[in-house]
Amino acid sequence: MASQVATPSSLQTPTTSSSTSLSSPALSPSSPAQLSPDDVELLAKLEEQNRLLETDSKSLRSMNGSRRNSGSSLVSSSSASSNLSHLEEDTWILWGRIVNEWEEVRKKKEKQLKDLVRKGIPHHFRAIVWQLLCNAQNMPIKDQYSELLKMTSPCEKLIRRDIARTYPEHEFFKEDSLGQEVLFNVMKAYSLVDREVGYCQGSAFIVGLLLMQMPEEEAFCVFVKLMQDYRLRELFKPSMAELGLCMYQFESMIQEQLPELHMHFQAQSFHTSMYASSWFLTIFLTSYPLPVATRIFDIFMCEGLEIVFRVGLAILQMNQAELIQLDMEGMLQHFQKVIPHQFDSGPDKVIQAAYQVKYNAKKMKKLEKEYTTIKTKEMEEQVEIKRLRTENRLLKQRIDTLEKGQVTRAQEAEENYLVKRELATVKQQSEEATAQLERARKTIRQLQQQPLAKGPPRFSEESVLQLEKELVQARLKEAESQCALKEMQDKILDMEKRNSSLPDDTNVARLQDELIGVKLREAEALTGLKELRQQVRDLEEHWQRHLARTASRWKDSPKKNTLSELQDELMSVRLREAEVQAELRETRQRLLEMETQNQIHSNQLRRAEQESRCLQERVQTLTTQNKDLNVQLQEIKRRQAEIECKSKEEVMAVRLREADNIAAMAELQQQISELEIQKEEGKVQGQLNHTDSSQYIRDLKDQISELKQEICCLKGQKGLVSQPTFDGIHIVNHYIGVGESYQSSDDDGAKDPDLQSLQPRSGGRIRLRAKLEDTDSDEEDGDALRLSVPQSKSTTV
Amino acid sequence: METIWLYQFRLIVIGDSTVGKSCLIRRFTEGRFAQVSDPTVGVDFFSRLVEIEPGKRIKLQIWDTAGQERFRSITRAYYRNSVGGLLLFDITNRRSFQNVHNWLEEARSHVQPHSIVFLLVGHKCDLEAQRQVTQHEAEKLAGAYGMRYVETSARDAINVEKAFVDLTREIFELVRSGDIQIQDGWEGVKSGFVPNMVHSSEEVTKGSRQCFC
Repeated sequence: MASQVATPSSLQTPTTSSSTSLSSPALSPSSPAQLSPDDVELLAKLEEQNRLLETDSKSLRSMNGSRRNSGSSLVSSSSASSNLSHLEEDTWILWGRIVNEWEEVRKKKEKQLKDLVRKGIPHHFRAIVWQLLCNAQNMPIKDQYSELLKMTSPCEKLIRRDIARTYPEHEFFKEDSLGQEVLFNVMKAYSLVDREVGYCQGSAFIVGLLLMQMPEEEAFCVFVKLMQDYRLRELFKPSMAELGLCMYQFESMIQEQLPELHMHFQAQSFHTSMYASSWFLTIFLTSYPLPVATRIFDIFMCEGLEIVFRVGLAILQMNQAELIQLDMEGMLQHFQKVIPHQFDSGPDKVIQAAYQVKYNAKKMKKLEKEYTTIKTKEMEEQVEIKRLRTENRLLKQRIDTLEKGQVTRAQEAEENYLVKRELATVKQQSEEATAQLERARKTIRQLQQQPLAKGPPRFSEESVLQLEKELVQARLKEAESQCALKEMQDKILDMEKRNSSLPDDTNVARLQDELIGVKLREAEALTGLKELRQQVRDLEEHWQRHLARTASRWKDSPKKNTLSELQDELMSVRLREAEVQAELRETRQRLLEMETQNQIHSNQLRRAEQESRCLQERVQTLTTQNKDLNVQLQEIKRRQAEIECKSKEEVMAVRLREADNIAAMAELQQQISELEIQKEEGKVQGQLNHTDSSQYIRDLKDQISELKQEICCLKGQKGLVSQPTFDGIHIVNHYIGVGESYQSSDDDGAKDPDLQSLQPRSGGRIRLRAKLEDTDSDEEDGDALRLSVPQSKSTTV
Repeated sequence: METIWLYQFRLIVIGDSTVGKSCLIRRFTEGRFAQVSDPTVGVDFFSRLVEIEPGKRIKLQIWDTAGQERFRSITRAYYRNSVGGLLLFDITNRRSFQNVHNWLEEARSHVQPHSIVFLLVGHKCDLEAQRQVTQHEAEKLAGAYGMRYVETSARDAINVEKAFVDLTREIFELVRSGDIQIQDGWEGVKSGFVPNMVHSSEEVTKGSRQCFC
């Protein structure tokens, strides 16, 4: 349902002859006979109106815009010329008169007025006639308009977004055009005046149409009137109840006057709101091209919403035949595509048909009442339904909880049953236990009574106790013995440890063996000694006996003497043998002792050798460590020496840089002083030349401050730590030219004072750009005020 | 010649004013994008045929509604007879996303005892730089409501077909499984028909051939 810009229709001048612009009451010679004093009056009034409109400051813009771009009316002012057709001229004259005598006409010639309006108001008169029709002439709200524009409305955002979509194809309401602005203003103002309605989508179309005819303030007043007096306000209210009523009324009209169509609509579930909502909300402005819609709007201004019903029904009547054949979708497409173009040739047909439609105002009122009762019933039903629904929901919840309760109760019953069974079994068990307990007690009592008759049982108790005591003691002894055993074992372990800590534990076994061997030998030697001593004693006894015998036998024969001499020799030999054996044994004994001592000493030697070997190894490791450390020490000493050298070099470099910086600073200061001199010169020259010296001074001052900044940078640079890589004597200074002073130089691009990035440059450079070389400077004498100093001072690459 | 479609689904497109409902529908049904168009006053109607699987065509009747709140009294009447809906919000407008909840409540309260299968659509996804709603949170919301989420752009024709076709497929599955049933007097789902006229001419020729032998 888009609006279209169609070619203007019935108001187009049929003549194509050249038009003479009307600037004065002088009339063309083509129709002098028809001039009358009335005509003169009419034209004078027209001019007056024009002048009034033009003097309105706001209207100037919109006037030009609306006049030029309104699609509903012809643009050229030539239509005001007297090259109009006769018919139109008459109409114009008539309208002029009506406008002048409005009050009278309104009261007395109402019917004629209506008829005239139905035929269409000439476009030039629309503005004024519409205002007259709705009595929007001298409204007090007009004065508030400019105030309202200053306020902000809560609907502003919404309005903004919709403005761009209102009459989008219309020249006047193009993007960012004046039309959009004024439309926004009026909508905003209205939303502030009527807070209840605020802003409703669709109302913008009506206001847009008004703005095409008249300036802002008037459009605003007319719109206010429309909303108040023409039922539009009710339509646009947030509840939109009135729209529902219109639908209802319209439907009943269809039912009454086009019953077949009505039945068809019902059968297809084709609701009135599907096609007719925009008819009522926008008075056909979105359904039909502007020429047609404007004609209908003329009548709307005169007769009110009734015309919408009439025209709507007329449209349906005219399309009845086609619509009946279509299904819902087809009908909607018909409404969307066919119907808007039906009246391109001229709206007269539909308007005439509209007046054939029967419209019964009383019936409408009745329908209104019916509708309100229906609506209230619906509301009540809705309320009832909601209440029932909530009740339903609550009941369902209750059912849920009850069901859940049932389930839990069933579970509980089950558990109960199980618990009871358990209880029964447990009771049984306890009974059995108590019976056993009884029996046991009985036996105990019996047993206790029995010892009075028998003895051993008592003793047995005592013996049991004794046995227990003995058992305890035995266990204690066992424990003690185990302790002792453990101690012994510990001692053994200690001994073993001690033994193991000895350096040569392999020799221990050998030593022990040797010891045993030695002891054995000793024992043997001692036993040998004892035997010898025994033999010696025996021999001595023998000798003594022998002597005794021989002493007694002195008297014997000489034969017996040789025997006794032989026996004596034998005895002495045996004695000597015994002595020799004893000596042998002694020597052997000493030999053994010596051997043992030898072994001991050799062991000691071995131990000492081992120790010395260990010590030697340690000595070796320590010497190697010593060597490593020495090497490291030497390296560190070397590095230290290097670093010292480097630091000395850096210190040198820094000092050199300092020297250069000082030199540069001196130069800069010199330049500053020169510039200041020039500044004075400039001032004087400026005063002489009446030129804008302040600009010049400002420029100079800027330069001076620049230079001073750079000096500070340099001073700051002095304190910088030097970086390891440097280029000897290269020190490069940058000046960052402010604004437009970059020209073809190469190093102006580098902006950071990092020294490293400047190595490829050679030599120190100081460059200044004079701001006054800027071509934007205004009326100064360029050459006279330009700084010549910097250029001579700068050394270029 | 009627086109042959299996079912006819009626969809409704709802959402705040200026989120782009009319644009999306126009892109889908007319294949064009209009930078500016009139605000919808009341309701608008469009239709198109989609083929969700080869040989299975569904006719979609789409109601385009006015977004401004006061028009709800008019648009209310259209929920009951719709089987599916696209719930649109503008990803560059946080408010429109927050109002999704209200739209859903509105639809659910007026559609009873029927129910509508909704698809949450984040529109104007070509305006990534002005995005005020992340995809993640929209997906979360859609998941919470039990509906899918698609991001579309009518201007760049992103996911426009997908949105409608996905929704159609979802409804089709529900119809096939019996969760949604065709009812007399309910316009949400209508069953199509396969006219015999296509085969009649073939039968005639076959018959005549047979006559020859």
